[in-house]
Amino acid sequence: MTAAAQSLAATPPLFQAKGLSKSFGGVRAVREISFEIPANAVFAVIGPNGAGKSTLLNLMSGVYQPDAGTVLFDGQNISRTSAHRRVRRGIARTFQKIRLFKQLSVLDNVIAGFHVHHRIPAWQYLTHGAAFQRDQSQCRTEAKRLLDFVGLADRMGTEAGALSYGEQRMLELARALATRPRLLLIDEPAAGLNTAEVDTLLARIQSLRQDGITVVVVEHNMDLVMNVADRIMVMDYGQHLFAGTPSEVQKSPAVIAAYLGGELS
Amino acid sequence: MSDAAALMPFPARRLLSRKAWYLLAVVVIAALPLVLQDSYWRTNLTVCAINVLLALGLDFILGYAGQLNLGHSAFYGLGAYVSTLLIVKLGVPFWLAFAGGVAFSGVAGMALSLFAVRLRGHYLAIASLGFAVITYQILLNWISLTQGPLGIYAIPPPPALTIAGVTLVDFHNLAAFFYLVAGFTLLVYFLLQQLVRSPIGETLTAIREDDVSAASLGINAAAWKVFAFGVGAAIGGAAGCFYACFVGTLVPDAFVITESFSILSMVIVGGMGTLTGPVFGAILLTLLPELLRNVGDLRLVVYGAALTFVVLFMPGGLAQAAKYLGSKLGLRSKPEGAA
Repeated sequence: MTAAAQSLAATPPLFQAKGLSKSFGGVRAVREISFEIPANAVFAVIGPNGAGKSTLLNLMSGVYQPDAGTVLFDGQNISRTSAHRRVRRGIARTFQKIRLFKQLSVLDNVIAGFHVHHRIPAWQYLTHGAAFQRDQSQCRTEAKRLLDFVGLADRMGTEAGALSYGEQRMLELARALATRPRLLLIDEPAAGLNTAEVDTLLARIQSLRQDGITVVVVEHNMDLVMNVADRIMVMDYGQHLFAGTPSEVQKSPAVIAAYLGGELS
Repeated sequence: MSDAAALMPFPARRLLSRKAWYLLAVVVIAALPLVLQDSYWRTNLTVCAINVLLALGLDFILGYAGQLNLGHSAFYGLGAYVSTLLIVKLGVPFWLAFAGGVAFSGVAGMALSLFAVRLRGHYLAIASLGFAVITYQILLNWISLTQGPLGIYAIPPPPALTIAGVTLVDFHNLAAFFYLVAGFTLLVYFLLQQLVRSPIGETLTAIREDDVSAASLGINAAAWKVFAFGVGAAIGGAAGCFYACFVGTLVPDAFVITESFSILSMVIVGGMGTLTGPVFGAILLTLLPELLRNVGDLRLVVYGAALTFVVLFMPGGLAQAAKYLGSKLGLRSKPEGAA
């Protein structure tokens, strides 16, 4: 075990799921899943299509409430906390199917992400006084920094809907970062990106971790996952199949069977 | 704020600055009753101002927060009846009754918004339409309170402004009444513009475009819908108060549900989600039928035709058309209302 891995194991987990289940009609999308995410880790969730990865992410971000089980963030039970309140606690996310505000400019999309951080006295929304001006100028400066980080600084004035697919994914990342998360959930960030773009994404995720953000990635792209994740959880048919380091996952017969069909064992 | 200015994505290339536009509006408002001396046109001016107020209120709910509200006539009627009954039955002073009417409509809007939290799109449209029908039926049938179809008569205009016994402004004067309503409307316009040019503008747009995405940024969509309905309905209530004491008579038929569709037409023809659009939409759809007076009930056909034309050929309404013309002429390209 490396020193870094040891220090990860020593700190209490930032996020814990205990026996999470969620059904839609007769479909049990997530079945009794339990896991822990240490602070400052990059945690990847992989699995075949329909394994329940996106449902799990929706349970983590509060879009869905679990039928059973508990969700703990920073030691506190947030199982029944709504999605918008979880953002205030420090959980942000992006979406697999991009959900930007297409009619707003790139800059305004990021500024919308500062929603929970405005410190403006109520009347100044009408008077646009000094505190309001200060807040606005801070927002713009920080939004520009985030757009720089995702490589969109020169597209600030563009309507979000006019960006390319890869750029839209990056804008969703910048918008989620504007909420200043401690835990960032990224749903299939590499979908639709070319190899060069995947490499940049990988570097950005690593840099987020250096900034102290814990990252959860749901992903199909094995190159990305194997290179960026400290720990990988494999799901199949809504169930926990395997968890371990990237090299352990690559060697696991159960995982290979799930991905390539059951005849190999 | 040179730092912030440097980060502005759009060059501020405008025909006139914001202050200059407001100055122009003040000058136009001041000049109109002087140019139009006869009482017929002065009456129309005030009706225009009231309709602009109604359109602004609905636009805040529909254009900015994206809530398909077809019950705006109810807020209009509630403001009119509550303020008038406070004056006539309880002898409450005018401006206090005005505040009461505005507050009552605002609270009614917030009550209706509780449906908006659970319903969306067509379902909300039907629920709000039902709200308008119910309100109309109550006004019509609660005869002991509203005198039903007989109506309430001889509602006085706002009290004259007097200082030390000298009457400065008497609101029996049509021009004075127009200045009162237009001045109030300009103030409401200014305050709404301040709101939508603040982060609240982005918050409402976020809710309009995508609830789930808005929640992922910490936006409590339910609370903001209540806010938008409250503000929009209160403005509708203010329009109702002015209407009642302007016309002097109050009958429930002034607030039938077709009135909701008239206001909706003004907003759509003007351009949803902009503030200037509904102002001109309301003026156009108030004056156009007056110019076509001899067509009588064909008024609604004019509304329908205007609406169909706009939806088919310029879905952004007059605001979009003006923006298009502006960009052709090389003027400002930044859309109104985007902060």
